[in-house]
Amino acid sequence: MVLTTERGTLAHGETSPVSLLRHTAIQTQRLLLRWSRNPVALLETLIIPCLLLLMLDIVIGGQIQKFSGTDALYGSVPMVAIVGALSGAVASGVMLGRERDAGLLARFWVLPVHRSSGLISRILAEGCRILLGTLVVIIVGHLLGFRFQQGFAAALLFVFIPVFFGLAFATMVTAIAVFTAKATLVESVTILTSLLMFFSTGFVPLIAFPQWIQPVVRNQPMSVAVDSMKALSLGGPLARPLTMTFLWSVGAIIVFAVPAVIGYRRASRR
Amino acid sequence: MTAGAWLTDTRATPVRAQQWWVLTTRLVTPSIKTGEVLSSIVAPAAFTASFYIPLKTVMTVIGTGFSSYAQFMMPIVILQACAFTAIGAAFRSATDAVSGLDRRFGSMPIGSLVPMAARMSGNVFRLLIAIAAALVCGHVIGFRFRLDAWHTLGFLAFSLLIGIVFTLGADVIGTAAKSPEATTQALVLPPLILGMLSTGLAPASQFPEWIQPFVRNQPVSQFVIALRALAGDTKGNAGEVTWALMGPPLLWAGAIVVICLPLALRLSKRRA
Repeated sequence: MVLTTERGTLAHGETSPVSLLRHTAIQTQRLLLRWSRNPVALLETLIIPCLLLLMLDIVIGGQIQKFSGTDALYGSVPMVAIVGALSGAVASGVMLGRERDAGLLARFWVLPVHRSSGLISRILAEGCRILLGTLVVIIVGHLLGFRFQQGFAAALLFVFIPVFFGLAFATMVTAIAVFTAKATLVESVTILTSLLMFFSTGFVPLIAFPQWIQPVVRNQPMSVAVDSMKALSLGGPLARPLTMTFLWSVGAIIVFAVPAVIGYRRASRR
Repeated sequence: MTAGAWLTDTRATPVRAQQWWVLTTRLVTPSIKTGEVLSSIVAPAAFTASFYIPLKTVMTVIGTGFSSYAQFMMPIVILQACAFTAIGAAFRSATDAVSGLDRRFGSMPIGSLVPMAARMSGNVFRLLIAIAAALVCGHVIGFRFRLDAWHTLGFLAFSLLIGIVFTLGADVIGTAAKSPEATTQALVLPPLILGMLSTGLAPASQFPEWIQPFVRNQPVSQFVIALRALAGDTKGNAGEVTWALMGPPLLWAGAIVVICLPLALRLSKRRA
């Protein structure tokens, strides 16, 4: 392999801000292309949430409407959008592990690529994926009868919540993924997300849960995110769930950002 | 073989029973040592909690025609335990296939069905644990056997039969697919869809008109109906154990076996 000096071909050094933008754009494009050509990942992030939404609507939608008087879709659309975001995070965590094992991260580390672009591009690509998944879920929900009743600004914020929440979750998954084995990661995170889903206010209304578990259900991250999104689409109290969602997400980012960055550096220098 | 020429013209005669036992312990012992077998206990418990706790109030208000929601949903917990075991079975048989172990066995003096029989014994071992865990969970939420000992035995036997049928199918799929990850991911969806679109969680009358025929007649619902009849209920809506009621579920189970056994034979006879 012949090494040519990059100085002649590159106007900017690999540490300049211009390079950061360019390299981040290229790497984001790479990740999104990889994702779009991987049928399993597409299935996990786009198709399965929609199927889940259909199932929930067919199986318990009617009962919940009779029980609570409001359309169950205003709980299940937000919940499924978030579940899609979380399962996508797991898939990309697995992909990160594979790229580490294949030596790709190490390759980027020794090439003149901006050091931060690797992690930032992953965050951006993840955000795009979640956004797309959320939009698909909203379209399916719309076909079933879901409507935004709080205006355009609320709808925008509605779409933004799964992205923010999902990125916080992805930070956690990344921090775990770079330190642990693949199989345990997938299994444990899948169990965690299923439990979050079933014990959330998006699955059945809060009053349907037994008294002793209601405080847990009411304050867990998935429920507060679902409640915020419910308030932004159907209406209802918004301040508390939105604040809680923000706190949960920011908390996760604060706790896991440093291990994620350290882990990523470590994975890149193996 | 130290000599250059064959020392004997007689073929090695496999001691099938001993081989089967060795290969069975290969599957059972590590799972006990690593504690992996605990997942067979945790999965039914997690499933029971995830569906019973949120749905109990809603379903009781709507009404299922049963004395309690626990009595109503017990069969789907059993089926879910079986499906969970089946996914693991597919993963293991695919791992054996992709790692070349099946080829190795094929070249050794082993009875051709022994590896599969050993895998199935390991599956039955896991099934017994999973079904026992499911029954314990059911007892905790309030499920009870309401009929005589024969019906109860029938319930246990039929649960095990369903589990064997599921794991047999999964074993064949895994062996044929040769990809552990892809097989596991592909097998997650069918139990989810068939399980939710069955009479296991909600009565058929609660479903939209257009999907009711499917919901009533698909195998999962039929298995659920059979198990409910075998368990009985104090309100008397569980159905009678007659040929008319038990026929379809038994035929479904039989059909899966009839499809899978020849395939299993072919796959194990395939000398790669």
